[in-house]
Amino acid sequence: MLKLHDLYKVYRTDDVETVALSGVNLEINQGDFIAVMGPSGCGKSTLLNIIGMLDSPSDGSYCFLDEDVAGYGEAQLSVIRKKNIGFIFQSFNLIDELTVAENIELALLYHDMPAAERTRRVKDVMDRIGIAHRAGHMPGQLSGGQQQRVAVARAIVGDQPLILADEPTGNLDSVHGQEVMDMLRTLHSEGTTIVMVTHSPAHADYAQRTVNLFDGYVVTENTRAA
Amino acid sequence: MFWNNIKIALRNLKKNKLYATINVVGLALGLALYVFASLLADYERTHDMFFRNADRIYTVGTSVLPEANLGIRDIDSAHTALAPLIKAEIADIQLVARSLRREYLVRVDQESFYERVRFVDPEFTEIFDFKFVSGDPSALQDPSSVIISEAFSQKYFGDSDPIGKVVTLDNKHDFHIAAVIEDVPLNSHFNSAILNASVLDIFISFQALSRISDYNPEGEWDNLSVNDLTYVQLPPQLDGDWLQAQATSLFDRHMPEAGKDVFSGFKVRPLKKANLVIWEMLGLPVMTIIKLLGLLVLIVACVNYTNLATAQALGRSREVGMRKTMGASQRQLLTQFLVESITITAIAMLVALAGLEVIIQLFNNATNKILTLSYMSTLPWLVMTTLIVGVSAGAYPAWLITRASPIDALRDVARKTKKGTRFRAVMIGVQFAISVFMLSVVAIMYVQNQKMEDASYVFPRSEIYTLQRLNVEGISERLDTLQTELKNIPGVENVAYSIWTPFDQSNSSTNVSTVPGDSSNKVSLHILRISPEFFDTYDIPLLSGSAPTREMANDMYSEESESINVVVNELALEQLSLGPAHEAINKRFYDLDEDDNLKEFVIKGVVPSQNIVGLHNDIHPFMFYYDPTNHWVASIRIRGNMLSTVASIEKVWKDVIPEYPMQGRFLDETFEEVFKIFRAMNMTLAGFAGLALILALIGLFGLAAFMAAQRTKEIGVRKVLGAGSMQIARLLVWQFTKPVLWALLVALPLAYFASAAYLTFFAERIGSSQAAVIMLGAGVFGVLFAWGTVAGHAIRIAQRNPIQALRYE
Repeated sequence: MLKLHDLYKVYRTDDVETVALSGVNLEINQGDFIAVMGPSGCGKSTLLNIIGMLDSPSDGSYCFLDEDVAGYGEAQLSVIRKKNIGFIFQSFNLIDELTVAENIELALLYHDMPAAERTRRVKDVMDRIGIAHRAGHMPGQLSGGQQQRVAVARAIVGDQPLILADEPTGNLDSVHGQEVMDMLRTLHSEGTTIVMVTHSPAHADYAQRTVNLFDGYVVTENTRAA
Repeated sequence: MFWNNIKIALRNLKKNKLYATINVVGLALGLALYVFASLLADYERTHDMFFRNADRIYTVGTSVLPEANLGIRDIDSAHTALAPLIKAEIADIQLVARSLRREYLVRVDQESFYERVRFVDPEFTEIFDFKFVSGDPSALQDPSSVIISEAFSQKYFGDSDPIGKVVTLDNKHDFHIAAVIEDVPLNSHFNSAILNASVLDIFISFQALSRISDYNPEGEWDNLSVNDLTYVQLPPQLDGDWLQAQATSLFDRHMPEAGKDVFSGFKVRPLKKANLVIWEMLGLPVMTIIKLLGLLVLIVACVNYTNLATAQALGRSREVGMRKTMGASQRQLLTQFLVESITITAIAMLVALAGLEVIIQLFNNATNKILTLSYMSTLPWLVMTTLIVGVSAGAYPAWLITRASPIDALRDVARKTKKGTRFRAVMIGVQFAISVFMLSVVAIMYVQNQKMEDASYVFPRSEIYTLQRLNVEGISERLDTLQTELKNIPGVENVAYSIWTPFDQSNSSTNVSTVPGDSSNKVSLHILRISPEFFDTYDIPLLSGSAPTREMANDMYSEESESINVVVNELALEQLSLGPAHEAINKRFYDLDEDDNLKEFVIKGVVPSQNIVGLHNDIHPFMFYYDPTNHWVASIRIRGNMLSTVASIEKVWKDVIPEYPMQGRFLDETFEEVFKIFRAMNMTLAGFAGLALILALIGLFGLAAFMAAQRTKEIGVRKVLGAGSMQIARLLVWQFTKPVLWALLVALPLAYFASAAYLTFFAERIGSSQAAVIMLGAGVFGVLFAWGTVAGHAIRIAQRNPIQALRYE
């Protein structure tokens, strides 16, 4: 599905140059469930942001569905992104001024989809995730677990084939964390490709493959036996 | 998507009530003032449009040579001899009419009032299609009939039919009422021109004026009165430029040489300009200035919005990041933010319109205007204004917040790197520059007006009561008796007669020279005809010589006089090169105009040069002489209780001249006439400037609150590290001080030039160093207000417990 080759990401601020990713090579196939692990500041989130086309690499190539997107501008990336990728963030990133249903609908809003179709899809996904009874609530009225469910619903409502989850359980207690992981497992079983950054070895165990990063390098890749 | 954007906008408003209120109230104030100023300017500029041929009707006025020193650049009236010439010489023009306004005592049965009567040519009712309630325009063909308005009819006859009833002018000229017209709407120059307004209540054939006052129907070139207007209606194929060319040709061929010393030509104006002619005459484009001020205040309001929206938008960085992550393009997000800003502007516009409904009503009641806010005709303009304001106010914040990459937006990089800080500083600078600019100009105008008013107290204006309109048969022959009786009233110190009083804005002049017939050294001397008591009554000191007396024959003018003793002012001496005051007595100079017998003037006294005509004029060279044939006004100097003395004056009047009601007014009122226009301009500008400053301060307050909230964590850390409350407050205040100081640097020089333009209008001006001090004062005032606004909030924030500040994040 996607292939990173000799990928670099360097941040420059005035006099300081920070290398976040250093020659990363990674291939992710359709239907994979990959966990990215490593200590704080090792480049996990940067890697995820580049895979998600929220950020661009400084060097190297990034092939997404056989298309090299490394040099693409924001406008082109945005088109690929909205068709193919759903995001789940540690801090949920729900919009406070929108209700649960509207937050989920946001993922469809930029897809030229008729309003009736959007409403139907939002309703379906809320039923599926079990938050339909909270449809009219504002994010501030929900618990952390509920907010992350909404975030998951928003990530999957567009039926994108790839879900990127940046520490999706980082802000949750163990029970709610478990719930989210179960959802991701179900999604994976339904064929969705998932790349997840996590600190938790237990949650990493849900994945088929774990990529360990250290100081911007991929140090090990472990594939779990089926 | 569109509704989604509006929904978000409304929810954001609800969430941030303080900023929403500031934004909506600020924009509403700015919009209300802008819309009001535009409506007013358009209203004033579209007077008389209800006359069927309004766009083909022109007035012919007269331009004044700058050398004539009359204090105005042109006059909207023309010599009454012009209209007959137009009719006789220009075949293409069929419709020309003069309108001469004269004051008469109008009596119906036992009721009498002074009224302004218009004497008009018969074409007057063809040019202006008045609506006749009864009778018809042919009434003007009969020199013994009058046409009256419904208001006039109501005043004198109540509900009874006035047709055929008799109206008597000055107790002796009878006319019968032949027609009644509907009252002319208020938005006509007949009603609302500042200089010349007099409701069109009663008008009579021009022929009648000849009958009752020996007025030559062919008109005259000697006298130009602001009361004499000339209207021309052109056929459809001809325009104003053509008429102007014809008028210029007539001027060149017919204006007498004496007139060409004062006037430069005739000036044709479309009828719709008749209402605003005073501003053109004074050279002050007041309506344009009002529109511009409205726009400036709106800009201040927009800047307010932009500034606060920029600060707020940065707080929505994550939302933008999230939307971009979901695939929103920058264009879509720009649209979203602009829709929000247009929504807020639309709400503000609704608030402004609601406010305007009340304001316009109050304004109409106070000013006797019929300004209306017609939604049907102004809707496209209102919508366009809303869109333009919404887009221009929201463009920068929208662009700033939507240009970040998704990941920068999600990380809130913009806020951390203080993006937009410089822009906000510049915007604060712009607001304060506009406010301080306006304040400075207001302050200078105020001080200049005050100087003009203070200078007018050189005359004992508050101790003089005047009796007007004494030049009427039946009154003029009893003036000696009146004077004697008035002097007997306890409290009356002196009684003087003159043709007009100081500050009456009248002008009468003649060309003189120290050598008979030598026009190469001519000096134009202004003339004031007086009675001997004039100088004492007005506290005008004699520097040498003496005032005229009743005893010396050569002191008194009569139609046979060939030589007369005069009192001149020092400026006249200087221009005539007649040496200092003490050497001037008995020196002579000679009249160059040959319109009467008077040839020689002998200097009997010298007075200081004072501004007699009115203080926006230069001080003129003057001569005064005793002319009992031209006693039009009595000036009664009163010591003690004015009101009881005026009651005694009325009693004396009734005893001496029982047939005419007394027309008295305090001299202060005459002076006030001069000042009221300048005061009104000053008040208007002060209103605009005050609002601009209030808006700028509201904006500053909102921004200060927002910035303090943004820096809460920093404040907490600083306090933990030992910063005192005052140090924190100073930190918060200082960030706003720099742009305000920059604003002063820009605003003050601009204000200096703008004020200079206003000051050139006056002969006696405040000094440039005084002007500089005033402007600096206005600047300091602006800065202190800015500090006050920010400091109150900053001190409150600075006094908070540091842990509260740290918990904030």
